[in-house]
Amino acid sequence: MNIDQRLKKPLWLAFSLLAIAASSCDPFGTKQREPQPSNDPPAEVDGWAPVYNNDPGASAIKAVDPKLIENGGKIYIKGDTLYQLEAGKGIHVILVKQPANPQKLKFINVLGAQEMAIKDNILYTNNLNDLVVLDISNINDVKVADRITSVFHMVDGNQPPGSGYYECVEASKGQVVGWETKTLKYPKCRK
Amino acid sequence: MKKLITILSVITVFFSACDKDSSTSANKTTGATSGSGTTGQGGSLARFTIANDYLYVVDDQKLYTYSLATSANPQLKGNINVGFNVETIYSFKDKLFIGSSSAMYIYSLADPAHPAKLAQATHVRACDPVVANDSLAYVTVRSSSRCGGNMSALIVYDVKYILQPIQRNAVPMTSPWGLGMKGNRLYVCNGENGMNIYDITDPIYPKLLKQLAGETFYDVIIADDLMVCMIQGGTALYTLGANDDVNLMAKITN
Repeated sequence: MNIDQRLKKPLWLAFSLLAIAASSCDPFGTKQREPQPSNDPPAEVDGWAPVYNNDPGASAIKAVDPKLIENGGKIYIKGDTLYQLEAGKGIHVILVKQPANPQKLKFINVLGAQEMAIKDNILYTNNLNDLVVLDISNINDVKVADRITSVFHMVDGNQPPGSGYYECVEASKGQVVGWETKTLKYPKCRK
Repeated sequence: MKKLITILSVITVFFSACDKDSSTSANKTTGATSGSGTTGQGGSLARFTIANDYLYVVDDQKLYTYSLATSANPQLKGNINVGFNVETIYSFKDKLFIGSSSAMYIYSLADPAHPAKLAQATHVRACDPVVANDSLAYVTVRSSSRCGGNMSALIVYDVKYILQPIQRNAVPMTSPWGLGMKGNRLYVCNGENGMNIYDITDPIYPKLLKQLAGETFYDVIIADDLMVCMIQGGTALYTLGANDDVNLMAKITN
């Protein structure tokens, strides 16, 4: 009995230590699936890429003629109007009264835009890390009603909004105004 | 025997409660009217939502509350720490459901200026938009190199007892993204694998009714009979007809 008891405790301890050691090595159970990027970036992987702006004129918030959808982002609908974000650049405004025949009405330039919500004729979006309040009563003449500066952390110029692999930022390409999801080849950066 | 009867009655009550709630729950995925004024509807991947004359915003860690008593001049009421890698926010009645890469958080809006945390359900590490009604929350978790994790599924949480969400089911999926609900139908974007439409008459056990193919689906908004989908390259518009007919009306990709 005494020998058994003496044996049991260290064994139990050893097993617990082993368990702790094993779990701490791979806290998310992803080790076998995901090679570490520093040693071995994957050939092709779902990740993030920065959206750059080089156009100094784009910093003014205003409604302009419709634009091509390049990298259509989040969507929002109110009444007969659909809004789709162009990640980092602004908002497409599209009339969908006749779903078979949607009509692009305008594009609202909003640098860094990632999000939006609308109440009555007021559209809330982010202009980089500012909350901006737009009066869209007249979609041809969108006005900035208010701006609350640097409140939230919506656009980071250095890192993507979520974890994972990303295309490293190159300052020479312009100002980072947002992040898009992208299939990356041999990414060198990871958050 | 007595014990068995008790268990059976509890189960019966539970199921009947779910049925009742799912059939009476609103069709809207997000509040179409809130307090005074009308709001629109966002997708399940959103970080902004409006409820009860307040705008709620989540960034990667915090929840910000703005009063919209004067719509054109929001007033910041405060911000609170939620967690890490917060990604989505969804409002239903007097609750906020917040998705992060490791958990679903539920906040009470009993005092809308000061959301109060009620519960959190930790799940596998993955991306996770949420939709919910009175009794259930549907969460998709998508493992990927971006979000981490090694499981992709549609998870069904019982949120009837809001302080303690209980996972009731996990339906394996290939690459689930955003999702939307209308009555007893659940629309789950499945990335490049299309969209899965489930019958949730039995809300805990979604039954696959049909799959839409041909697009890479990321998010969905159901506005009455119009289904707006965020797809690779833009938007697709569908109408929802009788007998689960889903008709493509237009694609806006240029």
